Amino acid sequence: MKTPFGAIPAADISADQAIPPAEIALAPTTLEQASQALRIATERRMKVLVWGGGNHQGYGHRVHPDMVLITTSLDRIEVWEPEDLTIVAEAGARISQVEEMLAGKRQTTVLPHHSPTATIGGALAAGLSSYKRFRYGPTRDRVLETKVVTGDGRIVRSGGRVVKNVTGYDIPRLMVGALGRMGLIGSVCLKLLPTPAAAVTVSVEDPADALAALYRPLAVLSTPSGHSAFLWGTQAEVESQAARLGGEMLNGHAWPTVPSRLVGWSLRLPPSRLSEGLERLPEGWDYVAQQGVGIAECAADQVEIGAARELRGWAESVGGALVLTDGPETLYERIDPWGRAPAGLEYQRKLVAGFDPFGVLNGGRLPGGV
Amino acid sequence: MAATLTGRNTKLRDDLIRLLGAERVMDSALERHLYAKDAGVYRGNPTVVVMIETTEEAAQVVRTARRHGVPVVARGAGTGLSAGAVPEVGGVVLVTTRMNRIEEIDAENHTAWVGPGVINLDLSRATTPFGMHFAPDPSSQSACTVGGNIACNSGGPHCLSEGSTVNHILALEVVTDTGDVMIVGSGAPDPVGLDLRGIIVGSEGTLGIVTRALVKLTPNPPDVRTMAVAFATIEDAAATVSGIIAAGLIPAALEMMDQLMMQAIENWLHAGLPVEAGALLLAEVTGVTEAVEAEAEMIAGIAQSNKALSVQVAASPAERELLWKSRKSAFGAVAQAAPDYYLHDTVVPRTRLVEAMRQVYEIGQRYQITMMNVFHAGDGNLHPLMAFDASEPGRLDEVKAAADELVELCVEKGGVLSGEHGIGMEKRHLMPLLFTEMDLDAQARVKDAFDAEGVFNPGKVLPEGSRCFDFGRPVPEGAWV
Repeated sequence: MKTPFGAIPAADISADQAIPPAEIALAPTTLEQASQALRIATERRMKVLVWGGGNHQGYGHRVHPDMVLITTSLDRIEVWEPEDLTIVAEAGARISQVEEMLAGKRQTTVLPHHSPTATIGGALAAGLSSYKRFRYGPTRDRVLETKVVTGDGRIVRSGGRVVKNVTGYDIPRLMVGALGRMGLIGSVCLKLLPTPAAAVTVSVEDPADALAALYRPLAVLSTPSGHSAFLWGTQAEVESQAARLGGEMLNGHAWPTVPSRLVGWSLRLPPSRLSEGLERLPEGWDYVAQQGVGIAECAADQVEIGAARELRGWAESVGGALVLTDGPETLYERIDPWGRAPAGLEYQRKLVAGFDPFGVLNGGRLPGGV
Repeated sequence: MAATLTGRNTKLRDDLIRLLGAERVMDSALERHLYAKDAGVYRGNPTVVVMIETTEEAAQVVRTARRHGVPVVARGAGTGLSAGAVPEVGGVVLVTTRMNRIEEIDAENHTAWVGPGVINLDLSRATTPFGMHFAPDPSSQSACTVGGNIACNSGGPHCLSEGSTVNHILALEVVTDTGDVMIVGSGAPDPVGLDLRGIIVGSEGTLGIVTRALVKLTPNPPDVRTMAVAFATIEDAAATVSGIIAAGLIPAALEMMDQLMMQAIENWLHAGLPVEAGALLLAEVTGVTEAVEAEAEMIAGIAQSNKALSVQVAASPAERELLWKSRKSAFGAVAQAAPDYYLHDTVVPRTRLVEAMRQVYEIGQRYQITMMNVFHAGDGNLHPLMAFDASEPGRLDEVKAAADELVELCVEKGGVLSGEHGIGMEKRHLMPLLFTEMDLDAQARVKDAFDAEGVFNPGKVLPEGSRCFDFGRPVPEGAWV
């Protein structure tokens, strides 16, 4: 196959991380190159898998690609305007590196970066938010502008580089959690937040009491070993808030490690049902639960399909979901990673068809095989 | 003007009367005239106006309108300013103000299911006993509806810290183009699949009709400090805004008004505004007492280092309310200056505020239009208000030309067309300033995914010719391209 720019030999791909076997892997360095690659894929009806840091590939139905598009060479920081609290970066940029840079001026994207290789594009495509979500809301609320390459190779910019904008349809928001079905995320403008001066972690007995006692803490997290409240703000503020809790106080944020085992699940519930959800977790599952938000990221050593189905059935009955986020390939054949498909599936299909008419880009990955 | 009084469709009207009863179907010349415009300067031509009360009625109206080949334009209180609810090409104006039930307040999950006709401020009042409020607070909040807020993704002073309406909508019940009803979004976080909720909010009624919404409620802050800081110049006030953001503070609100606006407000409200000053900055910080005290002190310090003339902190809830009343009633006060006004809405990066303001006044001088300004300085959202007399021949066209120039100058500075009013009819012709043909075509594909036949609010948001068949669209057989 004649390619417009450097292809990566198959042997090198398999050696690197867990990129699945494909006819060809390409690492575009510009959006124009990504566009060329996707035009070729569309012409030839090739199945394309987009690959960033490889951290969130467990989300959604599996793709068996003919072409892998690696985004990590799209990693430029285009503009950082500290006084506007905005940054424009290419999607292959590593969150950890961006955060390191922003820390110099005490600013943050608030994106999750538990893995040093996690990219901005990966976190956005998977729709992930950090543990600071209780205070700052989901990642989706901070994506101001996107430049994407559609399945048929069009480069489409939407949104704007200002913090408040209702100019046209909010396509940037739609890109978050779309797992690449609406286009390969090329570059994004993100709203930044200032990082306050003081940070503390306080152990708490009862997470509900902690939430009631505090005014909009950063997070209250539960793990099998206990509950902690995470605070930040001015020194006087965090001290007075911590005093309301009375528990043991640590300076800084002692974030729990994200559980990682053979199988990963994300339990998503109306916040008031979270405690009940945790009681219903099968024996031995590890978890980090975000109180007040309603998410528990879970990990299990075993494939327990029966137990997962039972938990999912209950979660869906109270308006939530149990989403498979990681696991052996065969598990995805035995259980739908998403569970019940959402309403409006025909509109999701039509939206995707407008951006990827031949279904080449991460095809079938979303609920309902969209 | 005669055109606005013709165009009745008696067959459609009779079908709608069978559905809703005669009392809720209006098509007299006067009624159609009354519903022909919103609070802006554009006028349309309603075929018939219906007041719906239930989701099922909305669905039936959509099906009926479709059968007659007539579009549907949803309308709340009609406080919009970009002609989003104006039935430009005729159609059924579907008024949601009777769907004003706050169905259930879930204090535990901080949510409520509400009808689209609920008035913004009523929602916050109803949730006060639970210690919560609905964060979006446009100046029209005592009149505008939640449905309208959803359509325009409305903001308000406090969206500086809390974000616009979309951040506060968890799920929507929507009547689709086929007249079916779907619920998108969820009370649980991160519902699976594409975020249809997020694309419908802010879509100005072009993708479907919202018949219920699950709103997120925000806890009321334990403490608050509201400060009015006077400056000799806009420049000093803007430098203070930059200084506050650079210091790592994001206040709950950061509003600015210029001298003309202050004088107009003071003339009728007598709020004690410093009318001799060149600019007033209204800053509010919320949170626990220790935080608001520290932050208010920091803001006062930054203001003083930028030559503040005076720093006044509201000493009581009544004083705070008066300050906010002066801010939110500004547009009513303009009536003294001229019989009509055109309220604009554009955004610049907040670092470009000073130069943008200078050019706003220049444009005013050139067109000899009085420019009064009260705006969301913290997020760079300008609201130049042009006072004029529409009875002067040609004056409205001059005002519209000045309005276009205002947008152009903001886009040149890296800004956008609208921060919170929407595009509607008002700014669609300016969309190419910001977007390429390919970008606009992608937006048209979003519209077509939900409403290929143009049932909902046709002609809004996107300029004519946005669909471009050069970009690999499947061309329908026999179509003229």
